[in-house]
Amino acid sequence: MKKLKLLAMILTLTMVFAMAGCGNKETKETSAPADSGAKDSSAAEDGASAEDPVAKLIKATEGTVKLTVWASEEDQEFTQGLIDSFKALYPDVTFDITLGAKSEADAKDDVLTDVEAAPDVYAFADDQILELVNGGALQEVANTYTYDVKNENLAGSVEAATIDGKLYAYPMTADNGYFMYYDKSVLSESDVESLDAMTATADKAGKKVAMIVSDAWYNYSFFKGAGYDVTLNEDGVTNNCTWNAEGATDVAQAIIDLGKNKGFESVKEDADIVTGIKDGKFAAAVSGVWNSDAIKEAWGDNMAACKLPTFTCGGKQVQMSSFSGYKMIGVNPHSQFVGWSMILAEYLTNKENQIARFNARGLGPANEEASQSADVQASPAIAALAAQAEFASPQRVGGNYWDPANTLGLILITGNPDGTDLQKLLDNAVEGITAAVQ
Amino acid sequence: MSKKNTPTKKESIKENKKESGFKTYFKELGEAISKGDWSVKLSMLFMGAGYTAHKQIIKGILLTLFEALSIVLFVIFAIPSLKDFGTLGTVKFEKILDPATLQTTVNDYDNSFTILLGSIVSLFLVFVFILIWIANIKAVYRLQLIDQLPESINKPHINNFWGGIKTLVNNKFHITLLFLPTVGVILMNIIPILVLIAIAFTNYDQNHMPPNALFTWVGLANFKSLFTNTVTSSFSYAFGKILGWTLLWAVLATVTTFFLGILLAMLINVKGVKFKKMWRTLFIVAIAVPQFVTLLLVRYFFDDAGIVNSVLGNLGIVDVLKNIGLVNEHLNYIPFLSSEHWAKFMIIMINIWVGVPYQMLIATGVLMNIPTDQIEAAKIDGATNFQAFVHVTMPYVLFIQGPALITDFVKNINNFNVIYLLTNNSYITPDQAMANANGKEVDLLVTWLFRLTNEYYNYKMASVIGIIVFIICAVFTLTLFRKLMSGGREEQFQ
Amino acid sequence: MIKFKKKFIAFLRHLLLAILVVIWLVPILWLVVTAFSGYSGVNKTHFFPQSWTINNFVTLLTKPDSVVQYGTWFKNTLIISIFTCIISTLFVLMVSYAFSCMRFRGRKELMSFSLILNMFPGVLSMIAVYFVLKSIGLTNSHLGMIIVYSAGSGLGFLIVKGFMDTIPVSLRESAKLEGASEFKIFTKVVMPICKPIIVYQIISSFLIPWGDFVFAKLMLNSGVSKDYTVAIGLYNMLDRSLVNEYFAIFCAGGFVVSIPISILFIIMQKYYVEGVTSGAVKG
Repeated sequence: MKKLKLLAMILTLTMVFAMAGCGNKETKETSAPADSGAKDSSAAEDGASAEDPVAKLIKATEGTVKLTVWASEEDQEFTQGLIDSFKALYPDVTFDITLGAKSEADAKDDVLTDVEAAPDVYAFADDQILELVNGGALQEVANTYTYDVKNENLAGSVEAATIDGKLYAYPMTADNGYFMYYDKSVLSESDVESLDAMTATADKAGKKVAMIVSDAWYNYSFFKGAGYDVTLNEDGVTNNCTWNAEGATDVAQAIIDLGKNKGFESVKEDADIVTGIKDGKFAAAVSGVWNSDAIKEAWGDNMAACKLPTFTCGGKQVQMSSFSGYKMIGVNPHSQFVGWSMILAEYLTNKENQIARFNARGLGPANEEASQSADVQASPAIAALAAQAEFASPQRVGGNYWDPANTLGLILITGNPDGTDLQKLLDNAVEGITAAVQ
Repeated sequence: MSKKNTPTKKESIKENKKESGFKTYFKELGEAISKGDWSVKLSMLFMGAGYTAHKQIIKGILLTLFEALSIVLFVIFAIPSLKDFGTLGTVKFEKILDPATLQTTVNDYDNSFTILLGSIVSLFLVFVFILIWIANIKAVYRLQLIDQLPESINKPHINNFWGGIKTLVNNKFHITLLFLPTVGVILMNIIPILVLIAIAFTNYDQNHMPPNALFTWVGLANFKSLFTNTVTSSFSYAFGKILGWTLLWAVLATVTTFFLGILLAMLINVKGVKFKKMWRTLFIVAIAVPQFVTLLLVRYFFDDAGIVNSVLGNLGIVDVLKNIGLVNEHLNYIPFLSSEHWAKFMIIMINIWVGVPYQMLIATGVLMNIPTDQIEAAKIDGATNFQAFVHVTMPYVLFIQGPALITDFVKNINNFNVIYLLTNNSYITPDQAMANANGKEVDLLVTWLFRLTNEYYNYKMASVIGIIVFIICAVFTLTLFRKLMSGGREEQFQ
Repeated sequence: MIKFKKKFIAFLRHLLLAILVVIWLVPILWLVVTAFSGYSGVNKTHFFPQSWTINNFVTLLTKPDSVVQYGTWFKNTLIISIFTCIISTLFVLMVSYAFSCMRFRGRKELMSFSLILNMFPGVLSMIAVYFVLKSIGLTNSHLGMIIVYSAGSGLGFLIVKGFMDTIPVSLRESAKLEGASEFKIFTKVVMPICKPIIVYQIISSFLIPWGDFVFAKLMLNSGVSKDYTVAIGLYNMLDRSLVNEYFAIFCAGGFVVSIPISILFIIMQKYYVEGVTSGAVKG
């Protein structure tokens, strides 16, 4: 009766074949880089050992070097230009470089889903560096070839790219932190010294000061400013947090008071800041360089920027802290061409191109010399960042920081609607922030 | 109607003859092995032997070829994965960059995920092979039995190879029909689900992500951690809360769109209403824009600082709501999608907006075909319009729509799009315990799970939740479908 | 007096319908007017734009940049959806016929099993699907997307099978008596009767790739805008860093894509109702 399953069997066979075919192909793929590596290195040994590594690499490269690069949507045109000139720099090598668009802010989401399919070279914001390193998505920058990454870039940016004493990325910009934008026609330079003065003057003018308090990235500035810290444990995953230490309730109370302040508004997302400014609702806002053009458009010559103000905490004026932010270029260790990827990453972040990036896109360079140039110093946003740098700290927090701290910010800025005891509130948040990774 | 309901053919009898499952299956196998002659026994080793002995050479050759190929493939493909199945790999990825030459060397590392996937595919194929192997033994035994029949009896016809192929378009046509769809389902549904189930018993999370790190079996540890509330983990608290809302949502979403759809269809269908087609088309326009576009749009529409809030604020409605306590007094907007109760309410409202036109379309069709004589009869008996609706129309509609309602319910349990698009990145939970478990009050189990995998790479817990969602859905649908289908519903129209 | 009351009730009915239509169409209207807005971001204070322009459509359709590649997306989605629709429709018809018109051992078990399997949300096993397709080298390809959308489609047989259940057995029996094979009965007897439900099936499976962004986003992960489908392309425009520049274009894109879909929907309306409810018609 079942004899006639034959056709089914034949078809099953085909399926098995197909599967086996893939199986075979896969083994070939994984062995390929090792093979070529061995072959290439033996080829290189034939050459003069005195040659520099890049020359050796050029010599050892056969066939097309296929690379994929990710840069943010806004950076596409500029990066494409750099890639073209990079190709021209090494005329002996055939490159096939594809440029993809992915926002630096969430590069990790796509990179970590499948590291092997991720691009060879990609731009990301430094807040993701920890997870990227843990996920094995960053090649250690043990040596540099065309410029000295560690010494030519700002110390802060190198620190942000270093985990456990190892450098993992190439700093590209030093402008991803936040500071205060304000409208000169409403607020004076003395107003912007303290949040109290700012909100009072803004309220008089019928406007508000805006900030995203329900965002852990921003509300850190209050706690850290008052000396309560959140840091990464040695395991590189969980956090240590002192936000519930003695006196921290003053910070919580300060945020609650701020929520009730008529001259202050906590908006929900970044886009609201820009629209609020365009609609004339805000006289000042905590934001970053990425909104510079949009805000300039709305305020024109009245746009000014400065470091974050002080806020009243337990009756004292306390300077707000911030996360310093950098954008980096990383190299994927699963790339078939790690060597070329590193050379390209160096090229994309060298001094000349950091200056070019500033000129083309207004992004603040991480390169020390480039950042000292008069042009860069003249940009109000970047000058403000530089002034804030003194109070900023690199972002070293594990993944469990964000959701609990978002929620803490939300509870506080909405005036603690359930009336929970402030110490209890902070204890709960700290419990979440310091939780083990499930 | 009742007259036509009587089944014209009792086909079910024919069908159910041999349905007592596994027992028979293995009894037949045992019988074949114990009572089979040498050809049956030989075909256990060489699959083609039996057929060849019974003079079916083509089948014999093909079967042996199939067996040989399967073994070769098993050795080449399955063994490398299966040998590491117990540990899921031991060699960690290492790539060394030679600073002097810029060349890299990679070690021969294990990828736990590839091993897991390869093993599951292999095991699945081995399972398929065994099924075919057993079927072959039984078939050969049957040939033997036929051969043993005395000459005087009219022997049943035995199909040769070509005859066999012919039946594949005739009484075995279902095999032909189901083959490709089954392969598709195995590829897209069964294998991934098996992988997911396996992951629930491993420690696959952001600290153990292949290809750089290995993960391994941990037994029931993940299930334990879901159901025990440790000091640092509020997972089970979040799970309970999210499960509750998921079920509530699924009931509300299904019921509201269903009944409002019927009501809307009736409203349009009433005799006096003019331009029926125009009304229907206008509602359809609302669903013709792809759902994700409308949902994203609506999210900006009801944003805290969005257009609806601006308009309502200008009209003073926000203040009115504040006065009656529906909006927290320190807010100057309606938190449509940002406070728990408003967001839940709005999500259901928006779902009504999205779903009612569909239900209206279906209900229109159902109502058009309603047997009017019964309603007339009810009215003659003195029933009001409302009574006729409750006692005649509704049972009829429920009868027709029953299976669709269940499917809708399950779809709503898993309604990813509505919740994700409306609340992702904009809703922040005010409950610290929820936040500590990376959950939100408005999350369904699926959206929670999606974020666990997509943002926190917590694959193991996501798999555990996935299995639980699946069990809930499966139990629910099985029971209900059994009830609906057992009444011979399927046959009655034929 | 009674006549007046009747008229009044009829008037109320129309009024109610009109109000409902307004509720249902306001967001759609917002989509349309924003598509013509001179302001590129989300308009938060004015329902109607303050300045009107057709530039959004011009950018969308004629000026591809790194973000907007609408023409290419449309083409990609069209190719994927045409193949998805052919394969899914065939699969569903095949499975439905086997389950509805044929009787074989294990049929009921297989049906229950399929129904349960179909309840399993795709989102959960998405990652596994991704790696299965990756192992056969089909991520980042149209073929891969077609497989994602159509391979499992055989499970969605419920509605079509319900329709086939209503076809009188006598039709098939008589064909069988005339010596027709099951294959012939399937193609020559059952298929023609199933026309309305086939149209329904074709259109609804055609629409899947236009609305899905979750799978597409995972599978087409090269970051190259040219590979996208309309859905991820549009979704991408609402990225935090882009929404202020591209919201109006997003609306324009949503508007353009809904024109062909509306037409299909209006065609489908008739068949949908006929197909879904014919169980009742013939009961």
